[in-house]
Amino acid sequence: MKKQFLKITFVLVAAIQIVACSKSETITVPVVTVSTKVVKDLIADTVLGIASNGMPYSAGKYTFYSLENNAIVPSIDSASAKWDLAFMSTRIITNGGTSGPALGGAFIYTGLFDDLKTISADSIFKTDNAPTYAVTTGSGKGWYTYDQLTSLINPLAGRVLVIRTASGKYAKLEITSYYKGGVTLPVSASDVEKLTKQRYYNFRYTYQSNGSKVF
Amino acid sequence: MCKKPLILLFFIIPQCLWSQAQFVKDTLFTNGDSVVVSATRSERKLSNLTVPVTLINAQTIQQTGSIRLTDILKEQTGLTMTSGFGAGIQLQGLNPDYTIILINGEPLVGRTAGVLDLNRIALGNIKKIEIVKGPSSSLYGSEAMAGVINIITDASNKVPLEASLRMGTYNTKDINLNSGLRSKSIFYQGFYNYYATDGYSIRPNSNNRITTPINRLTTSQQIKLNINDRTSILFNARLTDETIKSNIAVSNGGVTINSNGKEHNTDANLSATLNYRFTPNLKTSFRSYLTNYISKQDLLTISGAPYNDLLNHLFKRVENQTDWAVGKNLNGIFGMGAVWEGVKSSRYDSEKLRKENAVQYGFTQWEWTASDKFIIIGGIRFDKNATYASAWSPKLSMLYKLNASHKIRLSIGQGFKAPDFRQLYLNFTNAAAGNYSVFGSAQAQKVIGQLNSLGQIGVLYNNYYLLKDLEPESSNGMHLSWEWTPTSKTFINTQLFRNDITNLIEVQQVGTYFSGAQIFSYLNIGRAFTQGLELEFKQNINNHLVFSGGYQYLITGDKDQIAEIKAGTVYTRNASNMSTRLTMSDYAGLPNVSKHKAQLKINYTNQKGVFANARIIYRSKWAVNNTNGNEVYDNGDDFAQSYFSLHSSIGKEYQNGLTVQLGADNINNYIDAIHLPNLAGRTYFINLKYQIKYKSQK
Repeated sequence: MKKQFLKITFVLVAAIQIVACSKSETITVPVVTVSTKVVKDLIADTVLGIASNGMPYSAGKYTFYSLENNAIVPSIDSASAKWDLAFMSTRIITNGGTSGPALGGAFIYTGLFDDLKTISADSIFKTDNAPTYAVTTGSGKGWYTYDQLTSLINPLAGRVLVIRTASGKYAKLEITSYYKGGVTLPVSASDVEKLTKQRYYNFRYTYQSNGSKVF
Repeated sequence: MCKKPLILLFFIIPQCLWSQAQFVKDTLFTNGDSVVVSATRSERKLSNLTVPVTLINAQTIQQTGSIRLTDILKEQTGLTMTSGFGAGIQLQGLNPDYTIILINGEPLVGRTAGVLDLNRIALGNIKKIEIVKGPSSSLYGSEAMAGVINIITDASNKVPLEASLRMGTYNTKDINLNSGLRSKSIFYQGFYNYYATDGYSIRPNSNNRITTPINRLTTSQQIKLNINDRTSILFNARLTDETIKSNIAVSNGGVTINSNGKEHNTDANLSATLNYRFTPNLKTSFRSYLTNYISKQDLLTISGAPYNDLLNHLFKRVENQTDWAVGKNLNGIFGMGAVWEGVKSSRYDSEKLRKENAVQYGFTQWEWTASDKFIIIGGIRFDKNATYASAWSPKLSMLYKLNASHKIRLSIGQGFKAPDFRQLYLNFTNAAAGNYSVFGSAQAQKVIGQLNSLGQIGVLYNNYYLLKDLEPESSNGMHLSWEWTPTSKTFINTQLFRNDITNLIEVQQVGTYFSGAQIFSYLNIGRAFTQGLELEFKQNINNHLVFSGGYQYLITGDKDQIAEIKAGTVYTRNASNMSTRLTMSDYAGLPNVSKHKAQLKINYTNQKGVFANARIIYRSKWAVNNTNGNEVYDNGDDFAQSYFSLHSSIGKEYQNGLTVQLGADNINNYIDAIHLPNLAGRTYFINLKYQIKYKSQK
């Protein structure tokens, strides 16, 4: 699995800090509480093989992830507050409700990632209550759409997952691809390729470490 | 509802009028190919029509080597073939649902998901095909929203016996037998066609045959009696019977389930027409028509579970039309009729119970020839329906001849399409794909209400409370055209068209089961438009060579979607996969619609009976699938690529009546297995035909 980190410091915030600092003539490191990161090819119960009846099979295991640390959490810690999200094929669970012991929850915001600057006060975070989940499952209902004709899965455009993390902080997340390498396979790809190269999550997210709902 | 008297009328009227014995020489089938009946419901010369009509004659059909209706229609300007549920025809951007298909003026029934499979219609006995586009078709009632395609079979009996045999790639056989008898007062025409193909598979690594093995038998029998010089009677019987070996693959969640078996379709049509002329200026005709389409699918899935489907559509119609030439310049038409139809389907609540509908209608049309330069026609039709709202269809069209070489035509009108039986009565739960259900609007609330009282319903959406009696889909159309014939060898026609469609009936989710499975029904919600330009030309280069072609530029759109895009609430993805707002420049309009479609044809004939032609058909890319899930077709979605296909045939007609023809279709071997399943790769054929002619004729 490849991981890339991309830190965006907010120029405006930094500039204000510098202006403020120049008066006191001391140099302090600006406190950056918001950062946007890109995650590539996070495996989520990838297909191990295709049985003789044509059905794909996999291990049936979640990949646990910490948004705070931007790292995979070993599944041994699945009952802890160390993870924020977990992925298994198209299903995404949050660390709360019937899925975990912590404060996790989520809802799906319709709009652009960059336009979501503040989580409005009246937003309602849902918690997992199996078989329904805070991140709604099913084609066209949550974050993706499944195309019967081409057997391809595409993330819905203009959908942002607004996450309450295990520790009660906030993040916004946009899934950009479900396929290895971050590019949806062409329609002409073989059925085998379509099955074996899926379940690789590519997403970007912004994590607010100070607990506020402002990104 | 006056069902019983209606049925009685059906049988009595033709017979009681037969007994009146006053007769005139009949003009129903006038010789000369430039006479058109479909545009005005009366015989008019092509050059005097107020609306542009495309006429395809028997010679064109024969020389292109066309054997099914699809073959010839796809080479016409403004017409595009669709695939899925059989081969349908899209007319000026409107789906196959909106074009009525007539044989000798009587409608064909038996549509699957709105599509009437045009492969059902053999071309061996056809005299001409008339295509009327746009609002002038409104006197034909429901389905004639985009246009009318009227197939006129040959009752002229020029040929006492004609037989042909055609063999082609994929073991495709087409055998025709035409026989005619004529005396002073009796004309008989019998036609038999046998078509069979092994089908083909153009999808690699798949045992699915895109076109499956088919055996199809068609017969048509026509008798015309000229009882005296005032009266004639015409009987038509037609039967198509086909057996298709099916291998259907249903894909769900990446898992494909194969089913094997047979599909058997029968299409029977029976009509009787009585024409009577009171005076040279007043004539009337009584038509009675009965048709029955039965489609049966008997399949077994690989696991052995049976999958059966039945559709039985019965349609009866009686109609009277009176033509009155009031004066030299004023012609009137009055018509009235009644339709009774019923459908039985295994996809309705009971396959034994026939769902019924009755329609009574009346129409009138007035044609005023104001001068030798100006003709104006106005008409209106009213349809009263038992199961949905009534509909008015007015039309107005005019022709202005600027001079010998310029003609301007304008037509404006309103057409409609009644909700079909499926939209009213479907009661279908797809066990093969997640147990979702679709309920027709006529009983959705009742059925869902019952399920709710049994505790089976999870959520009811707002759409559920919006369910009400469906209204007909309605279209306002306008066609403006300019015909220019600078010389006798050149013809150029330019046409602008616009259709505004309201009340489109669309499938909408109305709720979910407790299990989460979706429940759908039908609502009148859509608003759309189609507009564009058509250009047609024909140039006689010399006595042997004719160069012709056509082009269509087409823009379509869903008005509600456009409003959403303009409001900035529709999203797509950019090249780096990030969500962005969709702009109108990336909007692709309605699916399966190409912006550009064109065809060019070069035709050679000489006095020795040699004929040859080459045709090229081009279609630009079209949106197929909404892959990015924003419910709008845009540049981020799945498109079928633009393509062209080249066709050619060459032949010779010998003096002794023998014709030999060789042909090749899709010579450039263009294949797109997913988006163009009906386009086989390169195919060849050889056709032998033998005619015995009357000695008096050449």
